[in-house]
Amino acid sequence: MTAEREPFRIPIGPQHPSLKEPGHFEFSVDGEIVTQASLRLGYVHRGIEKGAEQRSWVQALYLLERVCGICSHVHATAYCLGVEKLAGVEAPPRAQAIRSLVAELERIHSHLLWLGVAAHEAGFDMLFMHSWRDRETVMNLLEGITGNRVNYSANLLGGVKCDIDQRLADAIRAGLDYLEERTQHYLDVVLNDALFLRRTRGIGVMSREDAERLGVVGPTARASGVARDVRVDAPYAAYRTLPVQIVTEMAGDLQARFIVRVRELFETYRLIRTLLDTLPEGELTVRIPRRIPPGEAISRVEAPRGELFYYLKSNGSDQPERIKIRTPTLPNFASVLVLTVGRQLADVPMILAGIDPCFSCNDRMVAIHDTGEGRDRRWTWEQLRQHGIEVYR
Amino acid sequence: MSTLNALITLVVFPGGLAILLTGMIYEWVDRKLVARLQNRMGPRWYQPLADTVKLLAKEEVLPNGVHAQMFYALPVIALAGALTATLYVPVFGLRPAYSFNGDLIVTVYLLSVLTLCMGLAGANTLNRYALIGATRTLTQLFSYEAPFLLALLGPALVAGSWQIGEIADYAERHWLILTQPVGFLVAIIGLMGKLELPPFDAPEAETEIVAGALTEYSGRGLALFRLGKGVELVIGLTLVAAFYLGGVANPLLFFAKTLLLLAGMAAMQTLLTRLRIDQTVGLWWRYGALLVLAQYLAVIVWQGVMA
Amino acid sequence: MLKAAARLLQRWTQATVTPEPERLDVTLDAADLVPAVAALQEARWGYLAAITGVDLGPEAGEIELLYHFCAGAAVVTLRVRTPRNQAFVPSICDSVPSASFYERELMEMLGVTVANTPNTDRLFLPDDWPQEVYPLRKDFRLEDAPLPGSDT
Repeated sequence: MTAEREPFRIPIGPQHPSLKEPGHFEFSVDGEIVTQASLRLGYVHRGIEKGAEQRSWVQALYLLERVCGICSHVHATAYCLGVEKLAGVEAPPRAQAIRSLVAELERIHSHLLWLGVAAHEAGFDMLFMHSWRDRETVMNLLEGITGNRVNYSANLLGGVKCDIDQRLADAIRAGLDYLEERTQHYLDVVLNDALFLRRTRGIGVMSREDAERLGVVGPTARASGVARDVRVDAPYAAYRTLPVQIVTEMAGDLQARFIVRVRELFETYRLIRTLLDTLPEGELTVRIPRRIPPGEAISRVEAPRGELFYYLKSNGSDQPERIKIRTPTLPNFASVLVLTVGRQLADVPMILAGIDPCFSCNDRMVAIHDTGEGRDRRWTWEQLRQHGIEVYR
Repeated sequence: MSTLNALITLVVFPGGLAILLTGMIYEWVDRKLVARLQNRMGPRWYQPLADTVKLLAKEEVLPNGVHAQMFYALPVIALAGALTATLYVPVFGLRPAYSFNGDLIVTVYLLSVLTLCMGLAGANTLNRYALIGATRTLTQLFSYEAPFLLALLGPALVAGSWQIGEIADYAERHWLILTQPVGFLVAIIGLMGKLELPPFDAPEAETEIVAGALTEYSGRGLALFRLGKGVELVIGLTLVAAFYLGGVANPLLFFAKTLLLLAGMAAMQTLLTRLRIDQTVGLWWRYGALLVLAQYLAVIVWQGVMA
Repeated sequence: MLKAAARLLQRWTQATVTPEPERLDVTLDAADLVPAVAALQEARWGYLAAITGVDLGPEAGEIELLYHFCAGAAVVTLRVRTPRNQAFVPSICDSVPSASFYERELMEMLGVTVANTPNTDRLFLPDDWPQEVYPLRKDFRLEDAPLPGSDT
């Protein structure tokens, strides 16, 4: 044994069953109590911010959509809105409505996914399996609309590329009816399951003051009574004509985060139905110049996990000068490091899951390497592209 | 002849191979039921056997910094303890192979050997997850052991014997689940704690500490531990069924009653959320132990009044 | 909201721009950053949304840092410039603890020295990433990056 006073460190990550993506947390524990927490990211860093600077405005859209596999649509939306702002054009109303519609469907998908993961962290696999089964419904709907289950590519600069016809609208309504019934059941579990409450009620409490001080966003903030939602604060796309009701809870504990997300699902169902009923007629796209006029734009949208912040800078060419992405998980991570200190080790995965972390979102570099022949090679984008063409010819 | 008989009893039936196979079948039933309740397909019937064969065939990795003899010996001792316990229990609806006065105490002790070995196995390695897992395993052992023992002593008290065979005979004539419901509940929940099944799986909570005490085990050692658990599942179910559910006089009754209990356990596994280790300890000492003790006293008083 | 922010920041303001209706860009001296941020925080004006570092290129010789604060629809951006070869800003972690992540990112990605920031460990880049190679600078070349896994 080494020095006796050395704290006992538990690494969680980079590879750990409770993290679905790689990140490295290190917790010092005294018995079962956490005394210190630190974070190291970058295991899925892909240098997307840098990569976007080397592509055209249109190519960057598809790159940015791949920041995150779960909330890909909001990234594309934030980027498109920002570029449209810079170019001084506005997408047609129908396109705006479809953007919001897909965003809300994505929110359902993300919240149900989170519900399952969080339940699994608590050792409640029943809820995990059931919520993921129901998530298939919304995945199928998204596939019906856009042709993809994830990375939908619904957005274009200046509009959207998929339309909603009567058949799709009916399918969505039917899917929502089913999901609404199931969500009612989940709300019941979250509110009333006695043993589940023992793992959620009063755990990881974040006061309103802390939430404001740490700058947390999204459902994590709303569960602490901070009514912060970009859809309401700074409406964009179809939300400008579609009021959103913010769901907040005052307790600030894990249970509140569960309740907020599940209640938000009901609001989302209402929004989707309204969007379908009031879908404006018209074009899906407007023309947008290839070269974007110089300038800076800030674009904020409400991702399922909270505020997504984009800063775009154009130098007047056909390539972006700088794109900064601030995903909702980053400010929320700061809260985890603060919240876990002094808690039980067993609560750590729950607190971690409570903010709905998304590591890919935070880590953004193409370091493509090929170790196939026992030597490392670095490929430029052009070489890689050429390679891809040759392989699949 | 008697040597051959004893050998068969030990190695083939009802001890040894037969109980190992039954353990695997019961493990499969448990997994399949849990899966179906969770809306999954679940494994095929030979999955536990395939797992065991695969693990036995694999290289056993000796991690750095462990006491090698202990590392290899612990799984063997654990399985041996569980197999020995089989001999004193009326498995398959037969009379216990061996019996003496006080074998109940020995059986309960033998059943704890497995848990103790797992705790030691975790503490033996340098792995942090295993160390935390070992701490939790042993903490849990101390919390359920006393209530579980008391729950098994309740029937012994009314039967007036410490011998499993005699208690089982008495229980065949009296459905003790009706007169001692608390004892039954504590026994079945204690069994789940013993086997580290959800919601008492904090010692091997994969989302916190990977595989708990057994994180560093692979290959043969892991296979033996798993077999030991399967055996313990069968023995535990047999004991509870024999003591509380009107006995297991013939094989048909044995399978019917133990599988019924197993189904109940599967339902509880799916319905309940994992308890934190402090919550587990609190549950056992605040409710489990006190309730079963109260019932125990009530039985004693009742017997005094009747006598 | 924006007027309140403009008033709070008046003492340190060198220039202001309103590029969009709900936005206010305030140019500051790097030395005034800490009191300006503290003033916003004490008045409980919004929250730090992000810190963007923009390399203006070798010709301009400067790095621009943008501190974005959001409150409802309003966005206030504090603009600070620092020379490229000696990039240096003070840390705002004293008044905004959650800025630590952004400051760590600035240090490794753009080579900006952040004075007095509590944690100087790398956040995103690997441990074997060479010193003095900053990927978000405009003159970064892929050849400067280490080969992944080359030392294993």
